Amino acid sequence: MVGETLKFWLMIAWLLPLAGFAVEIFFGFYSKNPRGSKAAAWMAVACIGIGFLCSANALRIWGNANEWCVLESHDTHGEHAEGEDGHGEEAHEHKAADENSHDEHAVSATDHDAEKTGQTAYSGEIYRLATFGSLTIAMDYYIDSLTLVMFTMVTFIATCIHLFAIGYMSDELVDDYVDHFAHTADGKHVHRPGRFYRFFAFLSLFCFAMLGLVLAGNIFQVFIFWELVGICSFLLIGFYTERKSASNAANKAFIMNRIGDFGFLIGLMVLWTFFGTFRFGDTAQDNVVTEQGLFSMVHRDAESHDFMTDADGEVLITDPSGHVLKDEAGKARTIPYFLLVIAGLGVFAGCVGKSAQFPLQTWLPDAMEGPTPVSALVHSATMVAAGVYLAGRFFPMFAHEVLLTIAYTGCITLFIAATIAVVATDIKKVLAYSTISQLGYMMLGIGVFGWAAGLFHLITHAFFKSLMFLCSGSVIHGCHHEQEMPKMGGLLKKMPITALTMLIGVFAISGFPMLFGLHFSGFHSKDAIVASALAFVIANPIHYLLFVIPLLTAGITAFYMFRLWFFTFWGAPRDQHVHDHAHESPWIMAAPLVILAVPAWLCAYGGESGFLYGMLTGDEPAHLATGVTAAGKIVLPSHHEIHQVHGDAGVLALLAAFSGALIAYILYGTTLVNVEAMKKQMSIVHGFLTNKWHFDDLYDALFMRPAHKVAAFCAWIDKTIFDTILHGLAKAMIVIANWDRMFDEKFVDGFVNLVGDATQSVGSSLKVVQTGKLRQYVMFIVLGVVALFAVVFSTFPG
Amino acid sequence: MNDTFLLSAIIFLPAVGALLLSALDSKAVDAIRMFSLGITIATFALTLMLWSKFDYEATGIQMHVAYEWIPTWNIFYRLGFDGISLPLIILTSFVSMLACVASWSINKLHKGYFILFLLLETGMLGVFLSLDFFLFFVFWEVMLLPMYFLIGVWGGPRKEYAAIKFFLYTLAGGVLMLIAMLMLYFASGGTTESFNLIELAKAASGAADAKLTSTLSGSMQVTAFVLLFIGFAIKLPAFPVHTWLPDAHVEAPTPISMILAGVLLKLGGYGIIRIAFPLCPYGAAQAAYFVVAIGVISLIYGAFAALAQTDFKRMVAYSSVSHMGYVLIGLGVWKIVDSATINANMWLMGINGAMFQMVAHGVSSAGMFFMVGVIYDRVHHRDLNKFGGLMGRMPLYSGLAAGLFFAGLGLPGLCGFIGEIFVVLSAWNYSPMLAIVSASGVILTAGYILWALQRVYLGAEYTGPHSEDITPINAREATVGGILLAFAIFLGVYPAVVFNVMKKSTSELVTSMQAGYAKAEGTVTAGDEAAAGETQEEAAVLSEPKNDDIPPAQVQQQEAVDSLDSQLVRFDQAVP
Repeated sequence: MVGETLKFWLMIAWLLPLAGFAVEIFFGFYSKNPRGSKAAAWMAVACIGIGFLCSANALRIWGNANEWCVLESHDTHGEHAEGEDGHGEEAHEHKAADENSHDEHAVSATDHDAEKTGQTAYSGEIYRLATFGSLTIAMDYYIDSLTLVMFTMVTFIATCIHLFAIGYMSDELVDDYVDHFAHTADGKHVHRPGRFYRFFAFLSLFCFAMLGLVLAGNIFQVFIFWELVGICSFLLIGFYTERKSASNAANKAFIMNRIGDFGFLIGLMVLWTFFGTFRFGDTAQDNVVTEQGLFSMVHRDAESHDFMTDADGEVLITDPSGHVLKDEAGKARTIPYFLLVIAGLGVFAGCVGKSAQFPLQTWLPDAMEGPTPVSALVHSATMVAAGVYLAGRFFPMFAHEVLLTIAYTGCITLFIAATIAVVATDIKKVLAYSTISQLGYMMLGIGVFGWAAGLFHLITHAFFKSLMFLCSGSVIHGCHHEQEMPKMGGLLKKMPITALTMLIGVFAISGFPMLFGLHFSGFHSKDAIVASALAFVIANPIHYLLFVIPLLTAGITAFYMFRLWFFTFWGAPRDQHVHDHAHESPWIMAAPLVILAVPAWLCAYGGESGFLYGMLTGDEPAHLATGVTAAGKIVLPSHHEIHQVHGDAGVLALLAAFSGALIAYILYGTTLVNVEAMKKQMSIVHGFLTNKWHFDDLYDALFMRPAHKVAAFCAWIDKTIFDTILHGLAKAMIVIANWDRMFDEKFVDGFVNLVGDATQSVGSSLKVVQTGKLRQYVMFIVLGVVALFAVVFSTFPG
Repeated sequence: MNDTFLLSAIIFLPAVGALLLSALDSKAVDAIRMFSLGITIATFALTLMLWSKFDYEATGIQMHVAYEWIPTWNIFYRLGFDGISLPLIILTSFVSMLACVASWSINKLHKGYFILFLLLETGMLGVFLSLDFFLFFVFWEVMLLPMYFLIGVWGGPRKEYAAIKFFLYTLAGGVLMLIAMLMLYFASGGTTESFNLIELAKAASGAADAKLTSTLSGSMQVTAFVLLFIGFAIKLPAFPVHTWLPDAHVEAPTPISMILAGVLLKLGGYGIIRIAFPLCPYGAAQAAYFVVAIGVISLIYGAFAALAQTDFKRMVAYSSVSHMGYVLIGLGVWKIVDSATINANMWLMGINGAMFQMVAHGVSSAGMFFMVGVIYDRVHHRDLNKFGGLMGRMPLYSGLAAGLFFAGLGLPGLCGFIGEIFVVLSAWNYSPMLAIVSASGVILTAGYILWALQRVYLGAEYTGPHSEDITPINAREATVGGILLAFAIFLGVYPAVVFNVMKKSTSELVTSMQAGYAKAEGTVTAGDEAAAGETQEEAAVLSEPKNDDIPPAQVQQQEAVDSLDSQLVRFDQAVP
């Protein structure tokens, strides 16, 4: 019953933006005054705003139905964590003493999870796409605490960004919009009608797709909405269709995503072939499982918590209670272990594309061609985080090798992106690289078995990064579409609200603590990730880079974020013209900044004993609590092990962040160091970084040009080979036909003519005997008779 | 309305219309257009009536009617439909109707054009409705002539070349089909049912109520299958017999391109699923890998070729080659190991996906060709590098076009996605390698479609000739485009509407083909066993045991073991 109610509210929140899209795009196009009216915008705001209320209501219903029990269970967790946070050294001394209580707790948590199963996650079918024998593909829903948190987060941020966009996009409310970045062949600016309504229609469509992705009850459906958010992103990046750079960036984004989706497809094929279903959870009616989902098909061993395998090492496919399923021939159904790994890697490849992870990270910075609200909503807070969301959602199916790949991918990404962010001068590009880097942190968190940490960071990051993007939008708007930070500076006085809210975001992303436990949200979530990484590295020392690099990068993060802030808001104005015309944004843009600043700062209040963390982990996969210790494989740490190192990790991360911030202050906040000279001295490194590690050039040489070569070759084959053969055949036919004609005319006709001619000449030569003289005829007859007799008698003598 | 009348009316209403049209004054252009449109709408209504009478729960042929036509040769006027042909019948009348609306742009010899157009529709519907092999063949050839003239008279600059190329290609395929037809006719004894496609299929599958017994051996089945397959693959078209398609499309007028892509290509796929597969199940099973591989090559090759084109229409034509590759993949993923079908449901899914892909492609490619036609009518060129900026000049047109091209790109929520994804998902079970290659098609498809969209619709300004002629899309064009896009969305969101129709027929096909394969396999292995028996006796002199009751696979293993044993013995002896 609760499931039905939740489904009802979330379906409304999901479908309203779609209805909004349809109305906005049609009425926008056909209305009499589409250019001057803000109706479309308010409609979009209403749709997503109501969606937020519905989501929040659903969250409340879920909480009530479960008596908020999840949170209580984690309160004990939290106390331990707090204790370790506050008294790091003390906790170490009492490590041995604590051990017991921790163990107890681990057991109780497992019990609790087991008991909870089927109670807090609701899944079912919306409608069916197709049935093939025993195989069914349908639109499903899967609602657990993660779904609800994501729904609420997405709708809340989207509402703020919609409001902001009303102000930001208001220059589109004209019949003659001059696009200063698009030029016609004669060098003039492009003039075009404003497209205000279209922008909001696309935003609504995006919200629909994004919410559908979160609500999806099977991985096939995730793929559907995965592509739909991709096309919305395409439409929004390429919103300024007149700009070549924008349409290039849009294409690049979509195609890079498709490369990831190619891997995703392979994963889907493997899952489909071996499991025969795409569903996540089991659908139960009256406590009887009617449709089994993927998650219950792989069972984990009670001791090692690794997948149950048969004698050959193939993973067994089981029913919900852990009994092995049989195939038609009566043999146990299994999936080879390496294929399970491939399936996991495939799904993760999709996440790599969507979340702009190495090696598919290059599209996201280019995607900044889109209007800034788009960057805030699509390319930082929600869509790009979908990859992390899916990695989290699909976590129960990931094998060790997959997790390790995820961890290393995240680790490489977070480092590369952070280094590029250090040298970027475009304010949005810095934030874009920062987004990639932070997404890398989330992936790392998930990969090192800090599932909750990764998703925790997903939510906190969504708040503070959307805030920062909106702030950058406010700056850009205030500076009349100037995005280069070297032309800014000293804007603090001109736009105080923007500057201060931005500063909150900078503190949050750097992970700074605060008095009275009012720590910035990033402090909690980044600590959690670093702690997970440390615990992982302690358990598997050979992978030490997975801790060192993120720690180092925590410093770099603080550095480039403070650099951005000082560059933009601090010091003396560098470009007087820009500075003179700069102004604080109107209330419709400033208000969302203030609203968003609150959760950006405080959404993680209480850390791992707080509300957000508790909600997120309400339905965490059961094997997380106990860790996985399978023979011959890397060890995945348990909650207990992670908590033990939490304090140390936190201190180290904090040190890194402080030093990064300090260096940034010295370099950009003061005039102690000549930055330009430094840049010249390290020009090789600087060039390498500003060229984004040359990834674009590499891909161009490796893939783009060869693809066009192959394409040209295929076209050439068609034109030259096949058609030549065909034309050759045709010519041969003509030659044969000519021969045939010649044969007919010369030989056959010649013979016939010859016979005819001969007959004629014989006839004409005989005509001389036709004299008409009777006596002559009688003589011929007599001679004939005599000759006949002579022949007869000579032939038959006697 | 009785069955015979309804079915015959669907086929011949356009022909009757063509006859009446010839009585009209050739200068009354509007009357000719409206009359033809009326006929196609009426035909569409009749096919919808057919759908309303469709029994979702029944297996086999519905509304089966048969009358003697040429008794001497056992040729019947035999019609009927099932879940496989119904979607294609409706697609045909639907696309014809829209193509007729698109035919307003035809600007010469209107009367002749519409007469041929209607005759073409008769031919197409006849193919989908006839169940007599000979009748099928007749309609197949009937389609050719109107098409030849429609391209050859109303086409572009190289129309004669394209028309004759199209004609000869298809005719060559027809000849191969004729040979196979005669093979099957005589192999089943040349009785009154020997041209009956349903009875031929039953004979091949060894159904209990079969009226025919086929004497076609396994190898002859393979031959017959290959002949039929080539004939249909030309129509599909599949690599390497696809080169007629780009030329035909480029030269054909817009509405004829719509018909060509929307319906005619489907005849190839329909022929395979209606004739080649059920009549030669053993041949199909033997050639399955070949079929899938051809599909994969078409898919990738077509996509690459599309990427290289500079002619807008040619690009869309190659996308058709690429998309029809999915049809072959889906049909062919019949995995047989040790004479047993593995995961028959996956194959069923592949067949359904292939069928859906045909319907979806019928909508999306007709739409794409129409969209190319709309801009061609204005600026009279199709050079992809000389467009740009249309989004600003023709916003509604660009929006519709983007939607239809996204459908071609296989975007979820639009029709192209469902067919492609179902086919690809079913392929792993058959061959992981081919499945991976076919999945990579999604990247290339995105590449060529988005690149084309960028060059035509986006950008700062239009760079080609006749810029002054660019006018917003008119109501007639918007209607055609809008209807096609609406269907693309509907099919993409609720594909079950097609799958429900096909469900019974496709599962019946899968079961009967498995039976047919087992039957033919039985005769083949019986022969093998006899042969094996002979060698066995020779071998038996050397070694025991005798294995009469062991299946052939094991026999071979046993033989291998035996020979290995004897070699070892010899080896033992050789070592001192």
